[in-house]
Amino acid sequence: MSRLKKSILIWAALSPLLFLVLLPYVVMLSTAVKGSGEVFSFPPRWLPQELDFSNFVVIWTKIDFARALLNSLYVSVGATLVTLLLAIPAAYVMARYILPGKGLLRLFLLLTQMVSPVVLIIGIFRMMSAQGLINDHLSLVLAYSGFGVAFAVWMLQSYFETIPREIEEAAYIDGASWFVVLRRIFLPLAMPAIGVTAIFTFIAAWTDFILAFTLLRSPEKLTATMKLFYLVSGTYRVEWNEVMAATLVTTIPVALIFVLLQKQIVNGLSLGAVK
Amino acid sequence: MHRPHLLVPFAMLLPSLALVIWIIGYPVADLMRMSIHSVNRFGQVGSFIGALNYSKLLDDPLFWASFWRTCVWTVCITGGTIATSIPVALLLSQDFAGRSVARLIVLLPWAVSATMTGIVWRWTLNGQFGMANAMLMNVGVIDQPIEFLATGDIAFPVAILIGILAAVPLTVIIFLGAFSSLPGEVFDAARIDGAGPFAIFRRLTLPLIRPFINIAIVLNIIYAFNSFGIIWILTQGGPANSTDILVTYLYKVAFQYGKMDQASAMSLVMFAFLILFCGLYARFAIQERKW
Repeated sequence: MSRLKKSILIWAALSPLLFLVLLPYVVMLSTAVKGSGEVFSFPPRWLPQELDFSNFVVIWTKIDFARALLNSLYVSVGATLVTLLLAIPAAYVMARYILPGKGLLRLFLLLTQMVSPVVLIIGIFRMMSAQGLINDHLSLVLAYSGFGVAFAVWMLQSYFETIPREIEEAAYIDGASWFVVLRRIFLPLAMPAIGVTAIFTFIAAWTDFILAFTLLRSPEKLTATMKLFYLVSGTYRVEWNEVMAATLVTTIPVALIFVLLQKQIVNGLSLGAVK
Repeated sequence: MHRPHLLVPFAMLLPSLALVIWIIGYPVADLMRMSIHSVNRFGQVGSFIGALNYSKLLDDPLFWASFWRTCVWTVCITGGTIATSIPVALLLSQDFAGRSVARLIVLLPWAVSATMTGIVWRWTLNGQFGMANAMLMNVGVIDQPIEFLATGDIAFPVAILIGILAAVPLTVIIFLGAFSSLPGEVFDAARIDGAGPFAIFRRLTLPLIRPFINIAIVLNIIYAFNSFGIIWILTQGGPANSTDILVTYLYKVAFQYGKMDQASAMSLVMFAFLILFCGLYARFAIQERKW
């Protein structure tokens, strides 16, 4: 069988799935550049009769979507920083030291990384409200970090173990201190792993629903995901063209990161998920 | 006296451990306390009532309806996802023109949240102006628009399909890893011995990727069981609780019906179930790694 024939057959076999995956993006793009009048007519057209970019202006002025995006960015970056700050030293210790009870610790991390906030949401809500953190972005940063740190330690440790010790040992013999070795030799070598872990933590926070839904109250605090949810869950008519414009704006940055770093993310994911 | 070789590592481990224990331990302890007391809708813990919350939960028909629906939901999503992902990953690990583009498209939904996907699908499936109806009418499958999300009978299967779509990328990634780890020589030997592609898949590939299938099944069960967003965005569990799964029903019992005590009991039952599957996952993951 020629390569061309094989390629056509494989694309044909994949096409139903590709269609279902791409359909939402096409709908999103098509609706986002339509005017209100054209959106609410049946049958809908794929290509708008006239391009209308006013939706993108409206989500900035009327919906204040920029603030929602900034909120999302703030909690996601915050959670990523806190998670890395805690996970890097822990993973380093797990990868480099012989400790009593290390096996148990790994088991604990493996167990807890799969626990999701949904089933504990009442307890989390009460805990945050006891700390006075309801409607405070800090509660999200703490919760995302708490639920993400086990996975981050696990993943970083898997990578750290592949970094050969010999380089560090050579530096010690040359008289370098522990801190210098860590900063000048180990961390630069670990950078790719730290980068992938950062992306994971970021995306987990960026895509969260249940925690932001439960812990945030006032409109100006909402994350982009929540803002969108409230736009489509009200009792009034949903302005789908505006919603799709906002969805597009929220989706594109994450999709771009994914397209650019696909290989690293996929390698990281298979290592992280399958371990 | 001084043991820097133990003190330093423990100081480096402690912060992350403390955070995990705090964020999981505190809620679990609080839920345990609430589940055996009566709690009013403002969350004030009253008198000790033993197992009453648990027995009330077992007498609640909506709990059982959500429970069985969760079983259907989890089994269908897990089964559908695995059944889709194995052939897709097999195709994506072949050498063909445009492979990296195909991989990119298949894996993209992982990065875009289930919430976004749910919102766009809700619009696509809109009963009055949605693209799905327009397309189905174009090809002549239906004569008039369907209200996909108005009744549980249609909305729930639709939600399952969307759940499968959301779960496929990660599962495909797991199997891509599985196929790339297969030893090439064994397959060459089988081919030389005259084994056909079907026999090779059944007798060689499937047994060799068995550990990955185990992990993918357990991971998908955990994801499906926890997936709150898809249902909440599509139907909020409605109409009339007809699409509620346990997680959405739990949210309603706690925050809409204000029965914090019963919800706590329900929470713990679900947590126990989840931990069971996390344990299974840990077992499979350890087997795979053999550490």
